[in-house]
Amino acid sequence: MINVKPETTASNNKVLDIHNLPDDQVALEIKDLNLFYGDKQALQNISMKIPKGQVTAFIGPSGCGKSTLLRSINRMNDLVDICKITGEINLHGENIYGKHVDVAQLRRKVGMVFQRPNPFPKSIYENVVYGLRLIGIKNRRTLDEACEKALRAAALWDEVKDRIHDSALGLSGGQQQRLVIARAIAIEPEVLLLDEPTSALDPISTLVIEELITELKQKYTVVIVTHNMQQAARVSDQTAFMYMGDLIEYSDTNTLFTTPAKKKTEDYITGRYG
Amino acid sequence: MNNLNKWFKSGSPWVWLSAGGVTLSLISVVGLLLLIASNGLSYFWPSQLHQFEMVDVDGKHSTVIGEIYDVETIPAEQVIHTGIDVKGAEFVERYLIKTGNRELVNLDFRWIVAPLIQQQTQPQDLVVIERRTNGNFYGFIEQVFMDGKAVELSKLDNFMARVDNLQDEIFELQKTDIGAINYELERIRLKTRKAEINGELTPELIASFDAQTQQLKDEYLALETNLNKLREEVQRDKIIVRAMGGEKIEINLEQVIHVSFNNKLNIIEKTTMFFSQIGNFIFAEPREANTEGGVFPAIFGTVLMVLLMTVIVAPMGVVAAIYLHEYAGNNAFTKLLRIAVINLAGVPSIVYGVFGLGFFVYMVGGSLDQIFYPESLPSPTFGSPGVLWSALTLAILTLPVVIVSTEEGLARIPASMRHGSLALGATKAETLWRIILPIASPAIMTGIILAIARAAGEVAPLMLVGVVKMAPTLPLDGNFPFLHLERKFMHLGFHIYDVGFQSPNVEAARPLVYATALLLVTIIVALNMTAVSIRNRLREKYRSLEH
Repeated sequence: MINVKPETTASNNKVLDIHNLPDDQVALEIKDLNLFYGDKQALQNISMKIPKGQVTAFIGPSGCGKSTLLRSINRMNDLVDICKITGEINLHGENIYGKHVDVAQLRRKVGMVFQRPNPFPKSIYENVVYGLRLIGIKNRRTLDEACEKALRAAALWDEVKDRIHDSALGLSGGQQQRLVIARAIAIEPEVLLLDEPTSALDPISTLVIEELITELKQKYTVVIVTHNMQQAARVSDQTAFMYMGDLIEYSDTNTLFTTPAKKKTEDYITGRYG
Repeated sequence: MNNLNKWFKSGSPWVWLSAGGVTLSLISVVGLLLLIASNGLSYFWPSQLHQFEMVDVDGKHSTVIGEIYDVETIPAEQVIHTGIDVKGAEFVERYLIKTGNRELVNLDFRWIVAPLIQQQTQPQDLVVIERRTNGNFYGFIEQVFMDGKAVELSKLDNFMARVDNLQDEIFELQKTDIGAINYELERIRLKTRKAEINGELTPELIASFDAQTQQLKDEYLALETNLNKLREEVQRDKIIVRAMGGEKIEINLEQVIHVSFNNKLNIIEKTTMFFSQIGNFIFAEPREANTEGGVFPAIFGTVLMVLLMTVIVAPMGVVAAIYLHEYAGNNAFTKLLRIAVINLAGVPSIVYGVFGLGFFVYMVGGSLDQIFYPESLPSPTFGSPGVLWSALTLAILTLPVVIVSTEEGLARIPASMRHGSLALGATKAETLWRIILPIASPAIMTGIILAIARAAGEVAPLMLVGVVKMAPTLPLDGNFPFLHLERKFMHLGFHIYDVGFQSPNVEAARPLVYATALLLVTIIVALNMTAVSIRNRLREKYRSLEH
């Protein structure tokens, strides 16, 4: 079994009873979520509560639906024509699949970072303030301050402060990924979704990003999808194990990796398949 | 056998074949350009003037003066029956001489055969005079008269400078000042007519219009007096020249554009003259049914029409492509639409011309006239071919190119760009506007480049919807509203056709055809290079995206 988190984690990491979470600690509540791609069901009856200010990891073998679940949380699946969804995802007690939900507004609250860094072909500065410009902020000073703040928060400021008006495409892969994170947190979302954020990066960049994730949970609720179990063990407070569209087991990371309740989970984390 | 097999398998034959293909296309492009350039540019080089002493078969002496335009070698039998002694040679040479002097002989050119030439000289004081009418004059200057008094030849340069200035003044007066007055008079006439049609023509209005007309007419009279004075001035001096037959002719300097002792010129003077001739060709108005002078109105018309076309086709094509690619979905109907768009590119251009004439000129233009310009009917304003209709017709012709390349550009943009923007709370429209279109801009520019290349070389449809042999005014001038889109215009492509095949003096026009073709190619290349450099800059900016 994998050796779990160092003992030095922050004090807000006391183990939560994830299944009986008081309402004021819930960031997101997923209820009976079913998702279909055409005739194929990709998610089956998922129900879970994601706690505020913590890092929740989704793990599982390829094709288990962990990315699909993540994308449901900010409705990126809307872009797929054949995708149908039943069930609810509640943010502040309001179903994000409700009739009158402004999707753009939702995505401002629930930011997302993708597998491969995807900076826009603009300057570093313009990348970071993109979301702010969308809201209509034009004041130069406000933008400058927000840009610096976001870059500092993403641990990128010191590396790029002398060239924030150069193209973002000149950055290395790891820097680009941190830039994309800075871009996402510049608009101060409540939840940050990370879809395998380090799978395209080298080990050192991965380490930097992992440290960053630990930092980020001070302010944001972080949900991360990863195929790397060590990573899940290192950075997350809660872990959900998914298999073939089902949520098999969901508990605090320590428990899940040390004393898994289900056979499937145990098989997966001990490397029998996956 | 085995070796041959091996050679085939190695792939070298295909390398050779494709390299051969590239070489062939290179040679044809370079060859074409060289041919056009050498023929076109030699037109501007001041050539030597020759004097041939001829004795014909009856023993009669004559003199031929002119420029050698062409040399041909022909079989001797062709000339033997005319009694020329070819001294047993199998081939004889003959020269095509430009002799000019249209007031004396009808044809500018004549052939002379080498055996009849007794002596060939290049006298230093032989002169070629470029004139406003009757073409070039070749001969000798006998006398120069200032205001009726004979003066020495060296004064001629001063006189010519004076005439040039006066001619410029006259041109300016006629084109700008008198042109403006005429334009104003026509507008007052139209205003009167409009008021009449609307039943608003009150006596006060008539009086005011009459007053304005009177004022303009007074102004005109003043200008006319001025003009007449200038005309008198410009006619002050003249020269007496002697042609090759010995005839003496009086030429007023008013008629003279350029006097040149070509045989006296050294290489530097010739080069200077070469460039000044090119300058003249580019910036001057055509004369003598387009066979002489410059092509400025045609350059202007071509460029204006192409720019106008670009301004129309770019937004239309881009918007259509965005709809097709981003919003229309992928069903049988859109597939049909795409096929239709692609097939549009294969329709012969003359068909677009017919369509443009029927739809734009007669239907749209005719209706516009009915609604907005009833006062000038029955003479049409927009209801006749014009530069706007030409641009629109060519815009439709080039639309498929822009649509197809824009769509390809949109399709090439990685989905991660869209997702990145959408995930930050952008709507689809915002994503399109802020991210997708800038990234697709090089592809859009490629479409525009192809459109320009196609449109600038197109002539056939234009003959139906706006191009004329000789347009009296440019579509852009100093009279409100400055850009007159309803006007007909001149076009280099049509100019080539007209000069080369429709002029009374095809032989004389041949070098002009080459020169115009060279110019047309240069302009198209220049337009393209501009677009390409813009595209490259955009590419540099949005380069990337290959992770």
